[in-house]
Order: sequence, then C-alpha cells, then structure tokens
Amino acid sequence: MTTTATAVAVKSPLLPVHTSRWRGGLGNLVRKELGQWWATRMWWVQLLVWLVLLNGTTTMVMLDSGMAPDALVQEAVQTFLLVGATAIGIGVVLTIQGAVVGEKELGTAAWVMSKPVSRTSFVLAKLIGHSVGFFVTAVLIPSIVFVVEARFLLPVQLDYGRFALAVAVLTLSVLFYVVLTIALGCAFKGRGPVAGIGIGLILVGQFFKGMLPLPLVLFTPWLLGDTASSFALASRPDFNRMIPITATAVATLVFIFLAMWRFRREEF
Amino acid sequence: MESVVKTKVVQSHTGPEAPGEGVLDPVIHAVGLTKTFGHVDALQGIDLTVPQNSIVGFLGPNGAGKTTAIKLLLGLSRPTGGKATLFGMDSVRDSLAIRARVGYLAQDPRFYTHLTARETLRFTARFFYRGPAGAIRARIDETLELVGLEDKADRPIKGFSGGERQRLGIAQAQINYPDLLILDEPAAALDPVGRRDVLDVMERLRAYTTIFYSTHILDDVERVSDHVAILDHGAMVASAPTATLLDGDSATYELTFRGNEQAALRAVRTHAWVSDITTAPQNGAIAMTVSVTDERAAESELLRSVLATDDVVVTAFGRKHFNLEDVFLQLVKGHRG
Repeated sequence: MTTTATAVAVKSPLLPVHTSRWRGGLGNLVRKELGQWWATRMWWVQLLVWLVLLNGTTTMVMLDSGMAPDALVQEAVQTFLLVGATAIGIGVVLTIQGAVVGEKELGTAAWVMSKPVSRTSFVLAKLIGHSVGFFVTAVLIPSIVFVVEARFLLPVQLDYGRFALAVAVLTLSVLFYVVLTIALGCAFKGRGPVAGIGIGLILVGQFFKGMLPLPLVLFTPWLLGDTASSFALASRPDFNRMIPITATAVATLVFIFLAMWRFRREEF
Repeated sequence: MESVVKTKVVQSHTGPEAPGEGVLDPVIHAVGLTKTFGHVDALQGIDLTVPQNSIVGFLGPNGAGKTTAIKLLLGLSRPTGGKATLFGMDSVRDSLAIRARVGYLAQDPRFYTHLTARETLRFTARFFYRGPAGAIRARIDETLELVGLEDKADRPIKGFSGGERQRLGIAQAQINYPDLLILDEPAAALDPVGRRDVLDVMERLRAYTTIFYSTHILDDVERVSDHVAILDHGAMVASAPTATLLDGDSATYELTFRGNEQAALRAVRTHAWVSDITTAPQNGAIAMTVSVTDERAAESELLRSVLATDDVVVTAFGRKHFNLEDVFLQLVKGHRG
C-alpha cells in the first residue's frame, strides 16, 4: 500500500522516530515530565518547602548552644535524616497522588496513549521525572545546604563519606515512595486510595514501628531513616542495616513491575 | 419509504467486504468486533470496512458504541471478541505500529494545560519525528495555520475555548501526516462557524488521508462523507456509500402529476418490472413512488407510459432521493423494532 506517510517521508526533511516496542515515546515523555518540574514553578516551590522544613529545623538544632558537641552533631544529623525520611515520603505522596490518576481522569493519558507510546514508557517517564525532581529539590540541595551549615555551625566536623552514604539511603526511601505512589495511581481510579494508602503506610510506620516486633519492621522502609542516621554517625543499630535497604530495594522493583503490569491492562 | 430503506439495509450490509482482487486494501477491516463491560454489550460483533482515501461517517445515537469502537481500533481498549486490522496489522498486537500511522482526535480533547498550543504540537511531533528542529518548527507553523491558531499559538491552553481546543485537537491529530485520521465527534461542541471550519479542514485533508469520524450531526455526514456506517445499541445497522444510502433503493422513482390518478396507476401497472406503487397527495397534485426491478426499462418507459395516458399532466419525474435523516431514523427504528 502506498501511504501518505511514505510519500511525505520521501519529500519531507523530517526524520521519523524509529518506534521501539517497549520504550516507544520514552525520551519525549521523560522530557515532558522533567519539564513539568523545571519549566514551571514546581521546582522552586518544592525546594522552598524542603529548605524551610529540613534545613530550617536542623538550623535551629545547630544553634542550640546548650548541648554537648557530640550530642549536638547527633541531634542535627538525626533530625535531618529522620524528619527527611518521613516528611519527604508524605510530601511525595501528597504531590504526585494525581500523577497517573489525574491523567486518567482528565483524559490526557488516553490522548498520549493514542500516539506511538508504549505503556511501559508512560509509567517509566513518571517514575524518572518525579524521582529526579524529588531527589534534587528534597534530598540533594537540602543535603548540600546541611553540610555547608554543619561546617560553620557544628563544633565537630561531619564525615562526608558517611554522610553521603546516609543520603543514598534517604534517596532510596524517596524512590520507594515515588514508586509506591505511581503504582497506586496505576491500580486505582481515584486519588483517595492513592493518598490514603501512601500516607497511611508512612504514619503507621511512624507511630507503630516501636511497638511491632522487630522482624516485622525490619523488612519495611520504616527503618531507613534510622539506617541512614547510623551510617552518618557510625553508630551500630540493633538490627542488620542491610535488611531494610535490601527489602526496600526489592519492594521498589516489585512495585515498578506491578505498576507496569497494571497499566498495561488499563482500559481508556 | 420504510420498506425501501429496509431493503437497502439488506443490500448494503452484507458483512465486511473481503479485500478482493483489483481493490485497494481497506484501511480498517473489523470482523465481529465485540466489547462487553460486565453484563453490558457495548459492541455486538460489528463488521466494518473503511476503504482507502475515503471519508467515512460513523453515525449513531448517543451511547450507540461509537467511541468504544474507536478506542478498540486504537488499542486504547481490548476487544472481548472479534478482530480488527488497520493497514493489515492487528489492532491489539501491532497497536504501537498502527498508532505511528494514525491521527486521533478525542470527543472532548484534553491537553496539558501548562503547555501552549505550540508546545503541545511540539510534544506531539516528537513522538513521530526526531528532527531536524527547523523542519519540525516549520511543520508546527504549517499546522497552526491550517487550523487558524497562529495568533494563539503561544498562549497557555488553559485559557482556550472549547472551539479552540477542538481546533488544536485537529492540529495535533494530523501533525504526522497520518494515513488515517480518526476523529471522535469533531464538530459536536462547536458553533455553526466552528463546525463549518472543521468540515472545511476535513475536506482539505481528504486528498492526503483516509478519515474515519464519528458524529450524530447528519448534515455534516451528508456534506463530506463518501461512506456511512450506522451503529445502534452496539450493532451495525448499515454500512454503505453515502450516495447509495441516500438513493435508497436505486430502483425507486418519483413521479408527480395532476389529473386522473386511476388512469395513471393502470398505465404503470401494465409493466411487469414494477414491484410496488404508492401514491400520496402533494400540494394539489399526486406524488407517485414506483419501485421497479428493471432500472433501464423504467427510465425509458415509465414516464412515457404515464404521458400517454389521457387526463394526466406530469409535473415532475426522477429517481427518488432520500434525506439522510429519514434514512437514519428509519434504519434505527427498523433495527429496534
């Protein structure tokens, strides 16, 4: 069949995209998702929130002159990492609860899926875009600000290598909540269950992790804040630090798989 | 007229034409396409063939299943039965390759509101073209001009009216020079001027592409469509070239006369090829509808035999043309009852 597209391709200087089966449209969608962060006010609103919440809180701790030097460092680091692990998780769920559901409700998902876009690409682009956005605004920049502040305000210097390891653990926690929220968005039709389950999981961890048996808690992301602190402060927690890290990493991969599996079955 | 239209349905809807020798492969070919939502049969095994370079109007009352059928063709939804091929490719298995050659306008098109019209078209174009940037820019400008949005190209979409969004929808649907344009109710939300503009755009595009569009505006179908497919309650009621549907049974003639009705009837009944005659008063004259089995004989002898009758003055004679609204209503009524 002689097609118009073929005819146009001969005449037109436009170079066609070679559509790949599973990552069709991925680059374009990632660019769009990143644009939603960096070409709108979203990036500076998020950055402002996390600088005030995380660095504001830790600055107050660092300025507390009544504490012993070691205790002050411990308090500042724990505040940053423990508050960070919980607050950023809640922030992630609240911010991106509509990332998939909103597009399904509004009809933009159906519009995008009418183009040569794979469903895998749609989900991956959301994960990449929001993971990068939260990593930079909620983890990376506040961590750099924390290190700079610590250099000038704390009497004992941080071990930067250990702190970087702690930030990596915090990043895993953020990544987990991004993936969880996107997966919930793929599974449900409304924002209620997405926000409810996401925030519920974080709050249950916060309030009950001390009451539940350790073997249960060990395989959840609830201990990632404590794990990160223990890395930064070179302390030995009463659990194997690799278990929550591995369990969260595996859970993250499982939720990525589930999100893609569910979205491939979505009917628009 | 009812009997004439019903006869037409049987003649025109004989299932999908298999791609035959000497005929271009159809762009869309669906056989027994079925979609069920729980206990609701949204599509009941429809057969559909859309020829290349045609404009096919997909008619049906609200809730007939038009949008469901379109979503199945695009791979946005999976059929519960049957099969559809577009460009010879399977709508489920080869959906990505199909969508690379299709332009789609949704019934209520929605876009990312933080983008401008130009950014939306750039975003759409990048699914199809990787460069060069200048050529993509030129294509976007050309498309904006086609739909008359040049002066609003750099405004955020959130301020767009329904008509402007619809025009942007048409622009994004055809930015990739699609081999097939699927438009779901392209003119439904528009005022008469907007509707005329959309139909003009469709007419301009017909030289380059096949257009399959759903609508319930019968005037639009009559104006631009080569073919019509009529859907009701998930079932295909008719599928035929527009002219054939409007002609009804092509062997039906209308004769208007003044004078002796009985004499005229006698004259017409003498012909063996006359299958049905009805008469009705019309503005002081008599309108006679004659169905025949031999079109050629009717055209040469029917008028002559009535003219030869004493006391009869013929004021009009010709093949009967049906109004699409009549045809549509009769088909739907016939299907339901």
